[in-house]
Amino acid sequence: MKRALLIAGGTVGGLGAVLAITPPQLGSSELNIAGGSVIGSSTGTSTTASASSTSNTTAATTSAKPVATKKATTKATAKADAGATASAAPTAAATTAAAVATAKSGTFTGPAIFVNYGTVQVKITVTNGKITDAVAVQAPSGRNDRWTNMALPILKKQTLAAQSANIQGASGASYTSYGWYTSLQGALAQAGL
Amino acid sequence: MNHLRRQFPVWGTIVDVDCYSQSVGGADLDRVMDSVISFCEDVDRDFSTYKSDSWVSRLRHGAVSIEDCPDDVRQVWDLSLRAKWLSDGAFDPWAVEGGFDPSGLVKGWAADKCADMLVAAGVAHVQVNAAGDLALRGGWFDSSVGEVKHWSIGVVNPDDRNEVVKVYEITDGAIATSGTYERGAHISDPHSGMIAIGAKSATVVGAEGWLCDAMATAVMVAGDDAAKFFGQSELAGYQVFAVNRHEQTAWEI
Repeated sequence: MKRALLIAGGTVGGLGAVLAITPPQLGSSELNIAGGSVIGSSTGTSTTASASSTSNTTAATTSAKPVATKKATTKATAKADAGATASAAPTAAATTAAAVATAKSGTFTGPAIFVNYGTVQVKITVTNGKITDAVAVQAPSGRNDRWTNMALPILKKQTLAAQSANIQGASGASYTSYGWYTSLQGALAQAGL
Repeated sequence: MNHLRRQFPVWGTIVDVDCYSQSVGGADLDRVMDSVISFCEDVDRDFSTYKSDSWVSRLRHGAVSIEDCPDDVRQVWDLSLRAKWLSDGAFDPWAVEGGFDPSGLVKGWAADKCADMLVAAGVAHVQVNAAGDLALRGGWFDSSVGEVKHWSIGVVNPDDRNEVVKVYEITDGAIATSGTYERGAHISDPHSGMIAIGAKSATVVGAEGWLCDAMATAVMVAGDDAAKFFGQSELAGYQVFAVNRHEQTAWEI
């Protein structure tokens, strides 16, 4: 099943919020769009987006280049690199209040986006310019109403990397192989571990 | 501080119990451990699908109904229902070929029971590792510095089990990992009957072992669609770490 959970958020000198989310319960062909807006001072100009998308979890990067104007809405060009179905198009202008123009921390609620199956609205929490949380405050009614009024957790994607092995226990392989396990124990004992 | 570690074969696998107690030691601690082992053997007797006279086998054959079963079996049945509901059917012990098979939940459930038996006997610091499904209580005692620390529990790389790819620090709680490795592809998608392909391995950390165990299986089946399950209030505080199948990547909640 394909679906995209695409969260894009940004901070621009003051702030910006670009939000997109495709709720997981929906089918693949249903595309979801996020609008972006950049408001405020135009000194900093990068908007970054991170996305966890569908089955192949392609990360999307969105770069938005706001045009420096004093108008409330600034054009943003967004290019989504999501391999799947998601493409972020700046169709909806966020109406984030100018009052927070210089803030780098806080919670920001994106515009309610009407898509063909319902309305999506996302709230993000930004701390020092980084998105620390994103939830859907509105999600469309789908085949299973139980999921629709819930905050959808955000997936944090990462590259697999070795961690410190200073541990007291391991969760992973199902040690059905008694021989393997006892052998490992023996090896660990020999290694003085 | 008394320390006892015991590993014993049961459920076709190995259970590893590591514990520390200020107040219980010597023969008393051995006796508590023996009662834990005895409990695990009872679980095997009641739940094994390999033993034709186990309660679960008789349930599968239709020889008994759930009302006829002892308390533990009925409890696991009820927990299975809850896990199925919380996972929107991605975890479904009734969809297994041959009938009701709660194996995807019993180890996590039993690990909690073992840990709680030890705690009730006065053993404050406990790790029960039932083949990758762990129950932790009270942290562990580091004698080199004379203090109690979190249990640091590593999640093993499914492609290299000598490599740890994630570490959780847990004082009290449970962690469970499901994967297609080591035991082969033993999880199937209840919706399709096909081998589960949502992830290469899935780890869930939370308060209760049965739920971690079942939800780890659900993530194996549903992949990152499973994220929605964790928005439910019943799963508040539960964490997920899943290794993707075809990339050296992972995602977490």
